[in-house]
Formats: sequence, structure tokens, C-alpha cells
Amino acid sequence: MKLKKAAKMLLASALSLTLALSLTACGGGGGSSDSTGGGSDSQEASSDGAVNLTLWQPTDKEAVENWWVEKLDEWNAEHPEIQVKREAIDRSDSYAYENKITTAVTSNDLPDIFFVDGPAVSYYAANGIIVPISEYFGEDELSDFADSTVAQCTYDDELYAISATESSVALYYNKDYLKDCDVDVKDIESRTLDNPLTWSELAEIAEKCTTDNYVGTHVIMDHGEGLPYALEPMFISNGKDFISEDGSEAEGYVNSKESVETAEYLAKLIADGYANIDPIQDEFLNGACATMLGGSWDVAILEGSADFDWGVTYYPVSDSTKKAVSPCGDWSAAVSKNCEHVAEAGEFLQWLMSKENVASYAAAIAKPATRASSYEEESMAEYKDGPRAMFVEQLQNTAVPRPRTPSYSVFSSKYAEAMTNIFSDAASAHEVKTDYIQEQLDSVVSAFQEDYDMYYAN
Amino acid sequence: MSKQVKLSGRKKNERTAAYIFTIPAMFLLVAFLVVPILYTIRYSLFQYQIVRPDNISFIGLQNYTKLFQDENFWIALKNTVYFTVLVVPFQCVLALALAMLVSSKFRGVAIFRTMYFSPQLTSMVVVSILWTVLYNSNPSTGLINSMLTSLGMEPVNFLSNAKTAMNSIIFMSGWQGAGYQMMIFLAGLQGIPRDQYEAASVDGATKVQQFLYVTLPGLKGTIKYVVMITMIQAMKLFTQPYVMTQGGPKNSTKTLVYYIYTQGFQQGNFGYACAVAAVFFVIVVIMSLSMKKLIAATD
Repeated sequence: MKLKKAAKMLLASALSLTLALSLTACGGGGGSSDSTGGGSDSQEASSDGAVNLTLWQPTDKEAVENWWVEKLDEWNAEHPEIQVKREAIDRSDSYAYENKITTAVTSNDLPDIFFVDGPAVSYYAANGIIVPISEYFGEDELSDFADSTVAQCTYDDELYAISATESSVALYYNKDYLKDCDVDVKDIESRTLDNPLTWSELAEIAEKCTTDNYVGTHVIMDHGEGLPYALEPMFISNGKDFISEDGSEAEGYVNSKESVETAEYLAKLIADGYANIDPIQDEFLNGACATMLGGSWDVAILEGSADFDWGVTYYPVSDSTKKAVSPCGDWSAAVSKNCEHVAEAGEFLQWLMSKENVASYAAAIAKPATRASSYEEESMAEYKDGPRAMFVEQLQNTAVPRPRTPSYSVFSSKYAEAMTNIFSDAASAHEVKTDYIQEQLDSVVSAFQEDYDMYYAN
Repeated sequence: MSKQVKLSGRKKNERTAAYIFTIPAMFLLVAFLVVPILYTIRYSLFQYQIVRPDNISFIGLQNYTKLFQDENFWIALKNTVYFTVLVVPFQCVLALALAMLVSSKFRGVAIFRTMYFSPQLTSMVVVSILWTVLYNSNPSTGLINSMLTSLGMEPVNFLSNAKTAMNSIIFMSGWQGAGYQMMIFLAGLQGIPRDQYEAASVDGATKVQQFLYVTLPGLKGTIKYVVMITMIQAMKLFTQPYVMTQGGPKNSTKTLVYYIYTQGFQQGNFGYACAVAAVFFVIVVIMSLSMKKLIAATD
């Protein structure tokens, strides 16, 4: 009898422990069993001696996903000694992808190669999360890439990342609707990079076109990174960038008199009802706004779906300086600190950034290529004229990368918060309050400076 | 003089078996609750940038000193308390009303039960995105503003106005969460003996009196439980501001959990985020204990 009880007890204990261990394995084993692999998994050479590299990138549209499948099959077939596996990570138009990288840093589980948004390069480089790749891209080769791309990917005189594509923002306009509103469309069409629309001209068009069913313009790309990305050129055009050139000072820049004026101009568009604080998805495409500060990627969307005649002109300039500036920057490939096969990763990136691959990738993702020579490729024929050519011209002549500072993520989120507050205040009060704008931009300076001084100032 | 009670062999064995059976739960509790809490407290004493775990330095209570002088922390605390104080009664009353409604026997009641419960089965992220569209200030997109304008009213900037954003989130959260509490209330209602209602009815009690003197006392235990869990859930508000408003406008929907997230992940101040989390933990414990005492006092 006692023996039976003891056996029962033993069985119960064994079951309990098995359950505990299996549950623990379920909870904690995600990293190793997950197909995202990365880190130590990817470091191991396979049994046939091949080096396995893992690459992370935000999930993209079908054409881009297909491009990757085709190209990686090609690479893996030609290079049995270096096998590359890509993991597409959902970004959800938010910070989910960046958060995944952050958690991978803390658990030392980074993939060998991962894509980072342009302005984040400085942050990752300053914190030693990515390693220099200058030796894989010589000066001759880099001279073929857009200056803005190289500048954005460089930190402390070292190249830390490399991008195949660029992006830009310009002013889209609904020709049909503008004609109905007696706006001189031919005048807009005749504008050049030396003579773009000014802010006051844009405000005038917006005023003419605002009705119960339409707003005159669209200036809020989103309430996150889209705000500094799309609006920084306005600040530069009016005389002051967000941050000092060395990336260490915000005082006297983003909160300067000129910057307050720029924010006032934007807030007035909202206060007067010419732009929505809360724009609907695809507001321009859905025929709900007359003009839009939109991205270069919108060309393909409008070509495919717009049921009205539209055009695109250069990024508007400040009335006081007339200085043409435009946004740029895109996702760039970088090699992580956890990569034990940097030379192989470098070799793969050299191949990935060849002029042919850059051209076909740019065509698939519908963005301008970073390499000048890629435009000679058949796949880039669409960039020879029309709206796409305008974006390339703008990128080559007026593009300015976002601030290169390791505290960019703090700056970006605080700036987005401040501008959202400014717009919200303008929308509620139907007026622009200079003191409030100053207060909000000062708060951006405080947050940035605190972070920079705490972690990076020597 | 205390007398040690001797347990029989059988009882001893049962007690040992009980301890053994708690091992998995205890193990998981320690691994996923106690250890993280201890680590949070530990890291709150360090200057720790999240991407530099190799370079952390002990700074004592500096994070806490900074926290109590941080205006954003107090705003987040105020918003969290505001949300909790409003959403708990709103959600509980709504849930009780729905439970009363679907506890009656009529044709198609099961459909109503399913309908009221269905928001609970939908991910909060999906619900938040849907309500962001419903709340859109443009009447051509936002269904609610479309209804308001068709009634001759001005459209409302529900989520982009600091005065209405949090209330809009409260309404949506109450709507989404009430289905779950409704099911608990429904179970509670079914536990009240029918003869109590019959006796009250014979005594001439009106429906309102029956509700006040039979239903509510009968649901006392259920109400305590529902209020407690709703309060704890409310204190953890994160998804709705994250998806719908990003803490804005003008910080009006910034909550403590959202603040912890932005400090820890967006701004990388992991040590400081841990300090906020530790204080938040203490606040939740104090509120839960106070609530428990308050409820015990009413017994």
C-alpha cells in the first residue's frame, strides 16, 4: 500500500515538473525555435561548411517580397558557401520593427544584417550596434550613390549602412479640382526647381480650394516619424535646421525664431481649416484634399488608382529665403555587432547594392534608386521623365538628410508629439498661439539635450 | 500552552502532494512575476540606456528623484486615474444593464448575448483602429460625425481635441470591455434564487425595488469581483492610446503604462522606465488593497 502511494506521489511529481519545464520551454524558447532565428543560430556554419547569414527587414508589398525571394534564390545558388535567409518583420506603420531590434540588442540576438531607417543609422552606430562597412564600398563606388544617401549612412567618418533606394516628398495636386477652383494649373506645371511654389502661394491655393467636401492641402503624413521627415525641409528653407550640424545642439535651432515661424505657418493651415489635423487614409487619392505633401512612393499608387487628373510639383519654399530643400532617406542595410562573418556579410551587401540589383529593387519598391548608374537600366526607364524624374531631380539637387545625431529617436518622437500638440491646439482654438508653439518647441530641445548630454556628450 | 496538532499519515501525504502540485505554478509565478519585479526594482537604480546593457551605472535613487519632479509622470498618473475612475463605473453599469437585458427570456436572446460579447473577442488593436475611423473628424469618413452633421450639428474632433480624446477612449473601452463583465454578471444573476423575486413580488415590490433589494444584494460578491478586475485592467491602459492617439493631443491620453513604454523603448531610458514601472506597481498594489479593504468594510 505504501509503495503504491509512493509511486503515485512520484508520478505526480514527475508530471508536475514535466509540465513546468514544458511550459517554461514554450514561454522562453521562442528565440531559438522561432523562424526569425538570428543571433547565435545564424552564426553557426552549417554541416557542409557554409556560412549562414540572417537578414531582417520590415515586411513590404508583394512585389518587393517576390523580389527578395527571387534574388536570394539567385544568390544562394551562386554562393553555396554563404547562405542568406531573410526574415520579413511586420512594422505595422509604427515602431514594432524598431522595438524588435531593441529587444534583440538586449538579448544579444541580433541578425547578421538588418535594415534601419536612415536617421537611425547614427543612433545604432554611436551605440556600437552596427559595425562600419567602409572597406566594402570604396570611394569610386560610393561616388555613384546619391550624396544624401552616403551622408545619412555615415557616422563619425565611417560608412555604417548602405541603401538601394531613396525617397522624397513633393506637392501633389488634383488638376481637375484645381481647375474647378480657378487655380492656374498651367502656372503650377511650369514651375522648376529654381522657381518652386512658395508657402504663401500654397496657402492661397489651399484657401481657394477649401470647401465643405475638400480641404485645400494635406501636411500630416502621420503622427510619428512622418512629421520630422516630411516637414524638416520647411524649417531648413526658412533658415534653421532642427539640430546643429554636428548633431549635438538643439537650442537655437528647432526652437529658433525661424522655426517658430515655420510651425506657425503650418499651424495656420490647420487653424484656418485648409488642412485636416486628422486626415483620413489616402485623403488625396480619395478626392478629399486638393493638394498634398506626399511621398515619391505615391506616384505608383496614384497611377494605379486615381480617377482624376493629377500632377506633382517641387517641395514649396519659404517666401523669405526661396531656398529649395527636400526630404530624403530610406531604409538601409547594416551589419550588426553580433555578426561573426562580417566579411561575408560585406560581400553579400556589395552584391545586393550592384547597379542591376539596385535598379530592379527600386523598380519593385517604386522608389528612386540611390545609384546614378542604375538609371541606365531598363527597369528604371520610367524615371527618365514625368513625376518620377521630378523626384530624382529634386533628390539630386535639394535633398537634405534628417539630423545625424545619436539622439535622433528622442528628438523625433518628441518633435512629433510637439507638432501634434501645436496642430491640435490650432484646430481646437481656430487660431495660432505663438507662445504655445515656442513652449512646445522648447520642450523638444529639453528632451533632446537631456538625452544627448546624458549618453553622448563627452 | 500551545499544543502541536499531529497530522495523520494520510493528511501529511495530502499536504505533501498539495505542495508538489503547486510547484509548476510557483515556478512560473517566480520566473515570470517575482524575478521581473525584482529586476525592475534593481534596474530602476541604474542609468541604463536600453541598447547599452554593457554600459550601465549605479545612480542610487536619482531616477526616483527625477520622476517625482517629472511633469509628464504626474500628467500620466492623473490621466490613468481619470480613466480608471470613469471607466470602472461606466463599464460595470453598462455590463450590469446588458446582463439584466439578456437574462430575460425572449426569442433571440442568444443572438443579443453573442452580439454584446463579440467586441471582447476582437483584438483591442483592431477595435482601436475601427474606432479611430468611426471617430474621424471628417464626416465623409467618420460615421459618428456623419451622424452628427446629418442632425445639423458641427463635427467633433473626437481624438484630436485634448478635451474629448480621453472621454472618447473611455467610451470605446467601456463598449469593448462590457461584454466580458456582462457574462460574469449574467452568471451572478442566474445564481439568485427565483423565489426571492416571487416573494418580493407577492409583497408588492416594484421592479425597481426588486432590483434594489433583491438583485443588487444578490450580486454583491460578483460586483466586488467585477469592480476589482475592471479597476486593475483600467490602470494598465495602453493599447488604445498607443493605437489611437499616441498619448496626445497635448498629453491628454498619456497613461502611465504608455509613458513607461515610450521612456523604455522609444527613448531608450530603460533605467528611468523601470523606476516609473516600480512606482506604478506600488500604486496598483495600494489601490487594490484599499479597494479590498473598502469592500470588506461594506460586508
